[in-house]
Amino acid sequence: MTTLGRNGREGRVRESYAAPSGGANVREVQRVLAQHGGSAPAARGGSLETHSTTITPPRLDAAQVVEGSRLEARVIVGAPVAACGGFLDGIQRSVVAWYPRAMLPAIHATVAAAIRTRAHDRTLHTWRGAPLVERALYLPVALAGAELVAALGAAGVSVVDTLPPDEHAGDRHPQELIGVARQAIQERRAQLEERLATEWCATEQLPLYVDGGISGFAAASRSPLAIGVVKSHRTLYVDAEGMATLAALEPGQRSSAMRVASRGRTQVASWYLRLRAEGDPLGGLVRIEVAEPGFNSERADLVSRWVLAEREPAALPDARWRVMAYGIRDCEEYLRAVAG
Amino acid sequence: MGEILGRVVATERRPNTPHEFHFWTALDAPVGIGTIVRVEGTNPVSGHLPRVYGVIVEGFSYSDLETPLHDVLGADGSPDRASDAPTRRTEIRLYKGAVLRHVPDDPLQPVPLGSVFLASEQDVAVALRMDAYMKEGQSTGIPIGLYRAGAMASPIFLDADFLLGPEAAHLNITGVSGLATKTSAVEWLLGSIFAHFPEKKGTVAALCFNVKGPDLCFLDQPATRLEPSDLELYDKLGVPPAPFANVEYFAPYTARGYSLNTLRSNESLSHNLRPLTWGLREVLQYAEVLLNKDDVDAKADALIDFIRERVVDQDFQDAALGTTPHRVQSFTELERFFRELLRAMEEKNHEQWRTHHVATIRKVRNRLTNISTRCRGLVTDDGTVSDLPWGAFQDRGVYVVDVANLEEDAQDLIFARVVTQLRERLEKRTLGVDHVVVFVDELNKYAPSDGPDTYVRKMLLDVAERGRYLGLVLFAAQQFRSQVHRRVVGNSGTALFGRMDSDELATPGYATLAPATRTKLATLDKGELMVRHPHFTQPVFVRFPRPAVLSGREGVEKFPPAEEPTLDEAIVRALRPLDRTITLDWVKETIALADEDEVLRARNRTLQVRPDDPKAFFRAQLKRRIPAETVAPRPRPAIRTSPNDDPYAF
Repeated sequence: MTTLGRNGREGRVRESYAAPSGGANVREVQRVLAQHGGSAPAARGGSLETHSTTITPPRLDAAQVVEGSRLEARVIVGAPVAACGGFLDGIQRSVVAWYPRAMLPAIHATVAAAIRTRAHDRTLHTWRGAPLVERALYLPVALAGAELVAALGAAGVSVVDTLPPDEHAGDRHPQELIGVARQAIQERRAQLEERLATEWCATEQLPLYVDGGISGFAAASRSPLAIGVVKSHRTLYVDAEGMATLAALEPGQRSSAMRVASRGRTQVASWYLRLRAEGDPLGGLVRIEVAEPGFNSERADLVSRWVLAEREPAALPDARWRVMAYGIRDCEEYLRAVAG
Repeated sequence: MGEILGRVVATERRPNTPHEFHFWTALDAPVGIGTIVRVEGTNPVSGHLPRVYGVIVEGFSYSDLETPLHDVLGADGSPDRASDAPTRRTEIRLYKGAVLRHVPDDPLQPVPLGSVFLASEQDVAVALRMDAYMKEGQSTGIPIGLYRAGAMASPIFLDADFLLGPEAAHLNITGVSGLATKTSAVEWLLGSIFAHFPEKKGTVAALCFNVKGPDLCFLDQPATRLEPSDLELYDKLGVPPAPFANVEYFAPYTARGYSLNTLRSNESLSHNLRPLTWGLREVLQYAEVLLNKDDVDAKADALIDFIRERVVDQDFQDAALGTTPHRVQSFTELERFFRELLRAMEEKNHEQWRTHHVATIRKVRNRLTNISTRCRGLVTDDGTVSDLPWGAFQDRGVYVVDVANLEEDAQDLIFARVVTQLRERLEKRTLGVDHVVVFVDELNKYAPSDGPDTYVRKMLLDVAERGRYLGLVLFAAQQFRSQVHRRVVGNSGTALFGRMDSDELATPGYATLAPATRTKLATLDKGELMVRHPHFTQPVFVRFPRPAVLSGREGVEKFPPAEEPTLDEAIVRALRPLDRTITLDWVKETIALADEDEVLRARNRTLQVRPDDPKAFFRAQLKRRIPAETVAPRPRPAIRTSPNDDPYAF
């Protein structure tokens, strides 16, 4: 139950201590699974997100420059201005909950997404009062067996099949199954984020600062309100010459805009922006994605000014503070607190 | 149930206990140090949902930063940039609550995780256990002030059984001077006691020692200004905003003896001002107050006892003193007794009289007869007594003894005798009232924790330890509680604290208070108090109204003290309240032939007796003198002429 505060804002004090429900937690799932045989993991492992995973190798993938003829450093016209009304981020937590059969890992995952909106007093609050939280068990249904899946369903445990029904899973390495599950979990998190972004863009008037790219979104990637800010640069959308340009970007400068198009994703306008000075050429550098329709240089400058404005307050003590907006850190902390 | 104010939190590093808990609130929650809250548990214990009441004793605020350096880095060292940031950092208000009460109180468990609410008026009564003594028709509650939190205001009551006895008693007030703590609080509380002391518990009066300036000199005069907020407090607390209706003032004379030694000497206030003078009989009983151990050894003590038992107030006959019996009733007569005794011993060359050595007799004579000099104005040579109305104390009466301008000896003597009389008469139930509140300020002076073991301190200790059984209640005040004898403060069931000195708060006696509570004590506003009472598990902060009486400072401006009068004027001033027809001319004419001592004696006697015809009585006290007559010179006889036939004439 939420309450209204004295100032009429949505209450920040909840009556119940229960986290947002969103499904059975890992212990409840383990209780159900234990009744159907199998074994627990040898030692209770930590979150799979902390384990090493298969990482896409870094690469250059030069994109088409749409502002001028080649990638160059541009001075942004105008001072930073805070315009974003919300900050969107999501989290995921997954653990191997059980082995219903030998070599068959069942992954319990919590995925959550939230938008933190900025009120007039510059404080952040959860948009619509609550995050989206989902808890589910990820496993290949074909291998788990119908009886187990039915029992889980009867106990209120959501089950996500990690493999297409027609795909044979019997000859998969358990780590591969874990990888497949993690992929599914990641996709589910992206779906939650997209859902929120879509609803925001359909109902709100202020820009939404999205942690990560927006090209994966369907409707929101075409909305002028969604601003994607990418912090990691495993793929650089420049060529060798463009790399030199990026390295030379001064804080507050941006690159020329490009058209970024990936398979299965929406084509967006994108450019690099140096938030802070750092010795590392990619340090303090973010890549911004906005909808391509209606894009021009003025818009690139304006959006850059919005993003530059979010450098304060610094997102310390997060290690990524040089490229992270405080609103995104706040959103992550919030999600960890309520769903982590 | 009210709006949820906060939520209890507990971690392994900061767990809740049965006596302490933590909770957080919104940044704009109307709470602070001293706010009373209610915690609602969610898991039933023995079929009851636990409910815990607590008071906030500490507050914390912090952000998501790990180190201040991060803030500096984030703002590039520019405070302006930090304050211009478009988003405010996440900030927490975390409070520590001290438990006031568990409901149910058994089994006593740690405070549960639950929602926190601002305590309502009813909650405050339960939290402070006031519900036990505020029952309809049986209330023993005495309002002490108003507790406020947010828009809620709740009267706080002390239990009369624990304030005025017999369960516990006494009140101790601490606070720095000049901030409406000690005197104002006592004036307010006395008014509250008089308005609310239950009839079934008997009668009550107050005896106040005015020890400095004009502090208590105008208790019968209305305050010059009471703000609407004060009147609202009076209304909420059910106390009439009026000065005390029945006040009597007592003060010794000045050393010169013309006027009373008080700042309340304005003629328009003389109607309830009485002299306080004692004679030999009254003083001798408390001789040890004025005589230190060097003065009074065992031998001297024995002689004083002998004089007290065998000589004073009776016909005393001794062969050494001749056949005429001695009747010693005043210091003058005592001096005469000693003089004759010593002369007789010298004449007979005796060194001893009734086992008392002549040196001891000389020493006792010197010390005793010296008392009337040391306490001139209070102690009369002639034995004239003008005293408090022992046996006729009135219910809700206030008796103020002004000792502010007296020498230390005289103050000690007054304290000792007045309090001893109160104790003895309460014990015998012959005072006139069942309970007496004795207010003594400056306890640092009269009952210090160190220094010599004076008679006054012993007496205050005795009152503090035994008074509650008798209905003798000590309201004591001081600036430094830590420097008052611990048995005096320790026996005070109720303690009030106004704004405190930081150095005082750093003493070990305040170690049980949380640092935030100490900080609040050091910054209390005028009219705010922290209250400790046996029913309250934790101290509570309250606000009390300005006293409805004229303050001492304003009083001396409105009623300036009279100038030191001439003898004639002094007599007029003293006797006119008895007879308005007495004029300066009449007095001049009446006392023209009398000497000063005689006139003062006559005045004292008249005031003591308060006769129906003061003029006649006063005149009768003066020695009759035959007026001088002009005698006509006798006619000078003519010089005789010598006889003509005188043979020897020339």
